[in-house]
Order: sequence, then C-alpha cells, then structure tokens
Amino acid sequence: MSVDIRLASSRPAGTDLYHGENPGNIVTPGDVITADSGFMRGHGTYMEDECLHASVAGTVERVNKLISVRPLKTRYNGEIGDVVIGRIRELAQKRWKVETHSRMDSVLMLSSVNLPGGELRRRSEEDEKMMRHYLKEGDLISAEVQNVMSDGCLSLHTRSLKYGKLGQGCLVCISPSLVLRRKTHFHNLPIGASIILGNNGFIWISPTVQDKSEESGGYETNLQPIPKLDREVIARLRNCVLALAECKMLLFDTCILYAYEASLKYAVKDLLKPEVAVEVVDLVRQRLELEGS
Amino acid sequence: MPTDTRRLTGPESSQSPYNFAPCSKLDMRNLEVRPDGRSFKQLRPLFLRTDVVSQARGSSYIEMNDTKAICAVYGPREVLRREDFSLKGQLTCDFKFATFSCKQRRQHQQDSQEKDLSVQVLEALEPAVCLHKYPKSQINIFITVLQHDGCALSAAIMCASLALASAGIEMYDLVVASSAAICGSLTLVDPTAQEEETILKSTVKLDANAGSVTVAYLPSMSQVSALSSDGELSFEVLNKSMQECVANCQRLYPVLEQTLVKHQQELEASKS
Amino acid sequence: MTDAELSEAEKTFILHSVQDNFREDGRGNEDFRHMEVETGLISNTNGSARVRLANTDVLVGVKVQLTAVDPEKPEVGRLDFFIDCSANATPAFEGRGGEDLGSEISAMLTRAYSCPSAVDFHSLCVLPGQQCWLLYVDVLLLECGGNLFDAVSIAVKAALFNLKIPNVTMTKDEGGVELDLSDDPFDFKRLNVAGAPVVVTVNKIGHKHVVDASEKEEECTLARIILGVTEKGTITSMRKEGSGSLDSDSISEMMESARKVGMELNKILLKALEEEEKQGAKTVGFLR
Repeated sequence: MSVDIRLASSRPAGTDLYHGENPGNIVTPGDVITADSGFMRGHGTYMEDECLHASVAGTVERVNKLISVRPLKTRYNGEIGDVVIGRIRELAQKRWKVETHSRMDSVLMLSSVNLPGGELRRRSEEDEKMMRHYLKEGDLISAEVQNVMSDGCLSLHTRSLKYGKLGQGCLVCISPSLVLRRKTHFHNLPIGASIILGNNGFIWISPTVQDKSEESGGYETNLQPIPKLDREVIARLRNCVLALAECKMLLFDTCILYAYEASLKYAVKDLLKPEVAVEVVDLVRQRLELEGS
Repeated sequence: MPTDTRRLTGPESSQSPYNFAPCSKLDMRNLEVRPDGRSFKQLRPLFLRTDVVSQARGSSYIEMNDTKAICAVYGPREVLRREDFSLKGQLTCDFKFATFSCKQRRQHQQDSQEKDLSVQVLEALEPAVCLHKYPKSQINIFITVLQHDGCALSAAIMCASLALASAGIEMYDLVVASSAAICGSLTLVDPTAQEEETILKSTVKLDANAGSVTVAYLPSMSQVSALSSDGELSFEVLNKSMQECVANCQRLYPVLEQTLVKHQQELEASKS
Repeated sequence: MTDAELSEAEKTFILHSVQDNFREDGRGNEDFRHMEVETGLISNTNGSARVRLANTDVLVGVKVQLTAVDPEKPEVGRLDFFIDCSANATPAFEGRGGEDLGSEISAMLTRAYSCPSAVDFHSLCVLPGQQCWLLYVDVLLLECGGNLFDAVSIAVKAALFNLKIPNVTMTKDEGGVELDLSDDPFDFKRLNVAGAPVVVTVNKIGHKHVVDASEKEEECTLARIILGVTEKGTITSMRKEGSGSLDSDSISEMMESARKVGMELNKILLKALEEEEKQGAKTVGFLR
C-alpha cells in the first residue's frame, strides 16, 4: 500500500523546456509570414492583402516555394502509407468505422482486410454477416493508411500479416506530433516486448508473439495469462513512453530503449512520480546528445 | 423549478406539528424492550401478494406491519430512444414515497433521497435479472411506498423482485433484503422508523457504533447484490451485522418463494 | 466514464494484471497514484482546495451563509454538497449529462458526512433554535481520469480544513438578539476536520480488488463498494455500486482494504495540510 500526497507549492519550479537548438521560427495565428508574393500557400496559412499570414500557432516550414506552418499540437493528419492504431467504433455497410484520433472517423472496408483462408478469397455475402465476428466495437487494430479522401477521411487497409487485430497489451495515447516518422514503426525490442508506434499518436505495447498463425487470419486472440516478467516490461515501457511524451520528447525505438534502460534503477510504479520521470528523460536526453543524433 | 400546476402545492415553508411535540425519540442507552414489543432479533411479520395491479405485466404488494409498498413492472418493451440501443436489456427503476407516506409531507417530485434509493434498488436487482435475454428492450419498475415505518429500501427491493418474477421476467434468483439498526451493543433487526431516526438523526454521538445496514441477497447463488450502511460503525460491527442481515435474508426467502408458488397454483387452477 | 471502450483482449490483460498484483502502470492493488493538494487558492470563498490525482482534477469552494435552523435539529449547523460536472471535463457532461453522476457523488458525500462526529456540527450553530451556519460545499470537476469519488472527498476535506468562518458577536436588544458579523478578515474560527471521512472506492476485478482504479480499470469492473472511512478506521457509510453482485467473504476483504487505505489517506492528507499551513507559501493556482 502506498499513498503519496504532496503540496502544490513543493512542486519544482517550471522545468526548462528549451534544450539544445533554437526551435526555429514560431508564429501565432494572424502573424505575417512574408509579404513576398513569390511563395506558395501551404497548410496552416492564408493570404490577405498580398501577405501570407499564419492561421495556426506553430513552426514555419519551407520546402522550395511552399510555405506551411506545422502546428505543435494537432489532431492526426493522415498521409498515405502511415502506420496507425485504431479502435473500431461502429459497423456499417461493408465497412468498419475506426477511431484514429483523426478529424473524422476513418474507414476500413471489408474488401481491404485479410480474411481467414488466404489473401485472394472472394468476399461473399456470408462474410458481410460475419463482420462482427471478425472485428467488433471496441477492438483495436493496426493498419496502414491506404488513401486520404477529399474530406480528410482516411481509408485504411490491413492487407498484410503485420497488420490486423491486436491482442493483449496496453494502449498509450499521446500527441501525434511526438511520433517520429521512420521507415518502420513495428519494433520487436530485445527486452521481450513489441511496440507499434502509430503515426496517429496511438502506441501499442504488447508481449512479443512468435508465430502469427495464418489460418485464423489473426482474428483469434490468445487470452492466456501473460507471465509476470513480460507484464513488468510492458508496464515499464508504458510509463517510459508517458514520461517521454510528458517532457515533449520525440519518440522512436532508440530513445524508448534508452529510457527503459535508464529507468531500471527504479521500481515501475515510481516512474509515475514526476521527479523520477524528469530524471529518466534527462538521462535519455544526455545520452542522445552524446551520440550526436 | 418546473412545478405541476394541476396540483395543490403546500405553503412554501411549513413545519410539522411533530416538531413541537414532546420528544418521540427513544432512550437508546437503557432500552430493554422495543416499543412494538418485539425482541431485538425478531423480524416483523412479512405479508406479500402478487398481481395487485391488473394492467401491469407484473405487480406485487408488501406489508411489514406499518411499512407498506406497492410495485408494478412494465415491459419488456422496445427502447424508445435509438441512442440507448444495446444488446443487453435495460432495467429502469423509479422509487417514490407517496406524499403522505412519511411523518413529514413529501413533495410529489422525486427528491435526492428517492433518486438515491431508486439507484440502489436498481443495482440490487440488476445482478438477478437475465438481461442478456432481452436485447434491445427495457423493463420498467415502479415502486411506491404507501406507508413508511422503517426499512423502506429492503421492502422495496423484495417487492420489486417479486413483481419481476410474477411478470415472468427471466431471473437467476429472487432478491431478498433485510436491514438492521445498531447502537452500541444493541442490534435491532428490521427497525421501525422511530428506531431508525433515533439512531441516524441524532445530533450528538450516541455511541462509538451507531448506524444502520441494509443488505440485499441472492439466496440460491449466495451473493450479495446490494449493500448500504449509514451512520458510523467500526469495521468489525459492520461485518457482523452484515452477516446477521444475510442470515435474516435466508429466513425470509421461503416467504417469497411460497407467495410465488401460490400465485402459480392459482393461475394453473384458473386455467383448468 | 468517457470514451474508454475496451476490447476483450485488453480487458483480459487488465484482469490478469490485477490477479498478479501488478497493474498496468506497475502499481500494486492497494496503491494510490500520486496526488497534489493545494488549499486557499480561490479568494472569493471561505475555504477552497484543489486536488489533482494523476489526471483527475477537482476544485472545491466552500461558502458560508447564515440561515434559519432546521426545526428537526435546532442546535446544529448544516452542510450542503453540490457537484458540478463541468462539460470542460468531458463533452458527455454537457447539458444534463453529468447530473446523475453529480447527484450520486453528492448523495455519497452527504451520507458520509451525516454522522455527528464527522465535523463539529454544534460549533456551526450561532444561536441555538434560530440561526446557524450553512456551508455550501461546491465541487467542480475539471478533469476526469478515474476514481472521482475518492478525489472529490479528499478535496472536500482539504477545503473544510481551509475553511475560515467569520466570528459573530451577539448583542441583546429589547426586541431580541442582534447578530454582528466581524468584518476583520483575521477574526475567524476554524473547523476541526480530524473526524471527517474520506471516501474510498474498492473495485472488484476478477477475483481480486483494487483501489484508485484508472479509467480503463473502471471499465473492467462490474461491482464496487464505496465507503467513507475516518482516521480512526470507522466506516461512516457504505454502498455497493455497479450491476454485479459480490459474495460476502470478498466484501469483508474489500472493506478491510478500504479501511487500511482510508486510515492512511486521512493521516497523510492531514499531515500535508498542516505542513502547508506551516509553510504559508504563496499559492500556485492553476499554472503548470
């Protein structure tokens, strides 16, 4: 049993968030970015009186002639090829509606999932009736963004064995802008757990599964108890990810591993305390700077 | 506040004449016999009857001396609002003291105590009803206490469980409920309103242990489905009186059973 | 309570983790998340407190008012609880959405504080038979991250600890008694909250039970018991909540856990509040 009550006045004074390089040119809505008419208008900007203004608070980014403002905190703006984690919200005609922290519910068509019995199977009416059997409300999936509709709605697919329904594990939701875009977002960490860093800020931590059986199509989940050691690793990873996100660190596999290693001297539940979390993140930051990444 | 214009509302503020009467409270310290002549461990006689509201799907009436309540069950019927759709059936419960049922006149609108009791009755019954057998539908329970002389919650729970059973709603078990009031070393089983009030409404500390406990019990599954205590009680005393209430529930169970059996026999007889 | 709808597998994961006494965030079954308390941060109240339990955020303001006594209890003052489920916390509370939850919490607080030893109700009476103090305890939920009942009760106790009731002087007139309210801000009396209860919620998950459940864990429980526990370990009120049932052995175990945790909570809370009082530090308020 542990109960920990502190006073607000004993909270350490605002920790210095600016580490390392200058964050660049930060603008607020209405700021004039440039009066030069030679630039193109990108996301987060608008034109008025021949001047380019910012419409969101964030950093200005320039690619050749295109100027856009990337907001610091945003809902997820999907791009084709992104890996996302989503939760099924609703079943509709031949499709599932999926919550992905995007502006609108994303859509997973029955035709863009793998069904048990091989990839090239025809979708029959039978399958339509069985949809709730495959994925029902509340289920979590990993998927790839197949297409972005004109209204911003994302269409997903799971036509690869690495995507599909997720089994036992732990979901952590953070801001999508904290997930670093990399070649791969699936990591089997050497410490006995897997992590999927969804581009939409949903992070899935689960025990590493050896062989995913093909015949059930991944729709059967293993509900056997997970050994306590694995559970400890998952809990520690969860708290590390939350600590890193709390300190606004960009997330990728190496920094999560570093945080995991730095946290090993503490009990898992102590990582929930803010001062321990800050210390762990500081250690990670130093180590990353040392390696010059 | 919306008021019902068709009713005569009383004056805005009024006082009950009982406030000026000589104190009706009991002297708990030297209590030797209960005012109604029962022994401390003696329950009040329990009288039950089903089918008292002919238009309801199921109904029942309960009488424990001066505590009298009536309950009607309607449904299962389709859920009215689409957003309430669910694959499990819904149970709703409406508990009301009749305006004239207590010493003080009650308002005709549900007050916070009645809302609280509605929720408690509902949560006592929910574990007993096979709600998965009634997808997309709702079952409404309405309970009115006609006369309140203590133990309204347990009376309401028993009455509602019987009404559900007589309505032919599928249930895992009947729900039986029982209360006890505690003051120091005394445990008064099935307390009357006077006993309850003396203990709970006292403004000075009567004893280190002074309070009341109500337990609802599913006898054949031996599970507790509702539990509520008021006043200040030590852990041990609370635990002991809880066990005592469970034992009393088991004693009351046959009465409910017999009422239902009799009800069924009457139906069979009228059929043939 | 908000949008946490979990899949079967996630629920199983949480259930097994409780079985192992090693929860999703590494806590044991009887561990609380860390909490932050501040009192006296709202100047227009007679007493105020804010409690942040992980991401559950509760603000309490207490205002006092002179009023006629309750004819049934002419020699004591009264407490009146109101819980405002602000739509800031979750859009589901918009309009009348939070009303049920609010009245449930206030009913629990009213019951937990209804025993005569909770606070010294006699000291709240100004003129026996005529005038007494009515304490409006208003709770505002700023953020919901699980375990609302406990967080609210802790904040209420902290606000009552912080409460400053102005002193009243009585002068006898020929027509009756005249009450004179002191306008000196430092002329006040405090309320003794040593006997005030905190509420502890014990959630049954699988065959075990947990205290201070997170939102996800609350989703996995069918039955919980909510108890008011005082510093001495007595139980001032109890109720079972949820659609499930419990067997009586596990209720005893859950009560035992609640008593242990509740006594500890009371002790540590009072220590923290006295510490704050001694420090007399400036208020931090809402800046983070």
